[in-house]
Amino acid sequence: MIDSHLVATLTQQFFNALTLGAIYALVALGYTMVYGIIELINFAHGDVFMVGAFVALAFLSTIGFTRSISDPLQLILVLVGTFGVTMIVLGTIGVGIERFAYRPLRNAPRLAPLITAIGVSFILQNVVQAWQGPSPVPTPQLLSPQVRFGLFGADIAVLSIVILGITLALMIALQLFVGRTRLGRAMRSTAQDREAAQLMGVDINTTIAITFFLGSALAGAAGIVYGLYFGSIQFNLGFFSGLKAFTAAVLGGIGNTVGAALGGFIIGFIEVGAVQVGLSRWSEALVFAVLIIVLVFRPAGLLGQQLGERA
Amino acid sequence: MSFRKLAATVGAALIVVGACTGSSGAGNGKGTVKIGVDLPLSGGEVANGEPTFNGVQLAVDEANAANAAGGYKLEINKQDDAKDGVHNPDQGATNAKTLVADAAVVGMVGPFNSNVARAIIPVTNEAGLAQCSPANTGVDLTKTGSEKYRPKNPNQRNYFRVATPDDVQGPAGAQYAFNDLGKKKAYVLDDTEAFGKGVADTFQAEFERLGGTVVKRDGAPKSTTDYTPFFTAVKGQVDVVYFGGTQVTGGGLARKQMVAAGMGDIPYVGPDGIADLGEGGAQGAFITLAGVDASNNVHGTVAGIHDIPDPAAFAAKYKAKFNKDPGAYSALAYACTQVLIKAIASAATAPDQAAIRKAVRDYVFTTTNKFDTVLGTISFDENGDSSQKFISFYKVDPAGAGGKGNWVFVKQQDFATTQ
Repeated sequence: MIDSHLVATLTQQFFNALTLGAIYALVALGYTMVYGIIELINFAHGDVFMVGAFVALAFLSTIGFTRSISDPLQLILVLVGTFGVTMIVLGTIGVGIERFAYRPLRNAPRLAPLITAIGVSFILQNVVQAWQGPSPVPTPQLLSPQVRFGLFGADIAVLSIVILGITLALMIALQLFVGRTRLGRAMRSTAQDREAAQLMGVDINTTIAITFFLGSALAGAAGIVYGLYFGSIQFNLGFFSGLKAFTAAVLGGIGNTVGAALGGFIIGFIEVGAVQVGLSRWSEALVFAVLIIVLVFRPAGLLGQQLGERA
Repeated sequence: MSFRKLAATVGAALIVVGACTGSSGAGNGKGTVKIGVDLPLSGGEVANGEPTFNGVQLAVDEANAANAAGGYKLEINKQDDAKDGVHNPDQGATNAKTLVADAAVVGMVGPFNSNVARAIIPVTNEAGLAQCSPANTGVDLTKTGSEKYRPKNPNQRNYFRVATPDDVQGPAGAQYAFNDLGKKKAYVLDDTEAFGKGVADTFQAEFERLGGTVVKRDGAPKSTTDYTPFFTAVKGQVDVVYFGGTQVTGGGLARKQMVAAGMGDIPYVGPDGIADLGEGGAQGAFITLAGVDASNNVHGTVAGIHDIPDPAAFAAKYKAKFNKDPGAYSALAYACTQVLIKAIASAATAPDQAAIRKAVRDYVFTTTNKFDTVLGTISFDENGDSSQKFISFYKVDPAGAGGKGNWVFVKQQDFATTQ
């Protein structure tokens, strides 16, 4: 006899895990793409995600939409506008960071851009802290989490479904771009062998810049989604969330975009699962324990393949 | 090079000036003494630290005006233990070393947070500096287990406090939830920090002793941003939620997400980290973090008396000086300072600052000494705990402060008689 209350709870937790995992996945994609193409762990990426959340907040405050919107058409328009503007702004910031902090060090020993990335991370945090203060800041929840529908006895927020839809759409769009377009092919070839790609006429600088643009735009989208879902953001958001997203990227196989998404969802499920069984105090330890176990048996991660290589 | 000579001359002049101003505070008899203060004063902690500091400032200024400190002039040595907007124990320890090294400091007020106190007490204990906390509630700071914070002088007490410890605050919350709110099934969540977990433990023990059930008990590390899974797991099974922790370690965010998960009509009770008494919109205040819409049905305890003997007079002079209403711990900090000032006055004939420091400490820990403070007449037991054990209960009024939301007083109870 299955306890219907437990079914309802587990259904709810399932959607909680999917939503949380989707946010981690979006951020993990940026880490994995940058690593795949220039073998740099962009520690500033988590903070780019944080900046995205604040840029979205600033945009929404400027156009005056700070409460939940009930008209679906208006909601869609505002969301499209917010995503469009925020992703472009963040993409530009990402390109800027690459151009001024990482490109000059492209041929330097690997440690130099790594330290620089940490430096950029601190700069971003300090700028936002000076701009918005150190306390958590409430964000507009355009689609109220209270709008719910029933499924197996559970109350699922429509917002969760919307977030999942947006995330999947973005991930599929990214896969199509990387797999089917000329620019995508340039990215894959640069990731596989930079010099050979250059010899074949690929403009390396532009290709890398596009990679950063896409990764940062996705992080910006994740920031918007975060603000919509959780309703509160803070200048140090990038640190913890960025760390988990980076773990997701490594778990799935750094350099592999499908792996990054998979890793994100796995971590979301581990965290929510830990809470459900009462092990929430151990959730961070569990995530890292899983990472270690996976790496012991599959050192390149679950789907460990480079961005450019195919089987 | 003439620039070098200029720089050298300026440097020498500065050293001379520094030496002159440095020595004016020292000296025997009626000079200046300082009261050190360590509180979290920046970032998200402004809501906690600033009103508390103002209580100290008010007491010092009044004492100077009335020459009530045995002929000494009082100054404050102010230190901030907040780093990146949150109270930081390492910073607190560094500040304590600064205060202890300043020979003019003969007593200190602070800190605000129990985990910072655990880092500070070893430092002040070694120096024998009397230390009064207006807000620390951690039980192990004065009772069993406190020896480990006094490694250098285990038998010499220097730390005392006017706030009521958590072994009273947690059970007070439990009695309020069980008796006053009439709830029998609780979900207890803590922030895994020492204060939060401690007060949640004492809440749980008392709630179960009264006959209630704690359906689930969880700890959410500081890195938690998603509390939805926590509340999903207990939805429909509980009728009250207790959060052990502060508004900035997750208390505000958890309530916000609890309401988003559809559990808004379930009361949310917390300790003094939740009941910061700040109104909505104030930086770092609970109502700001949770949002005024989610703050309905929120209750909290404060580890101190509310109805001080003459609240109107205190509020009036606080407001006259600072143009705001007093905070939850303003009167407590004021009382701490009053105690130190009386002890300083008792040392009027001490030969030097080191002797004043010792005399202050000895005076406070003479358990027969009574202090007339804004809280009433209090004394301290041999552990440094106050004779008063008041807990005040507050709840949020979302319509207060013109719709921004503020806290209203419900009742207070002295547990000194019912322990």
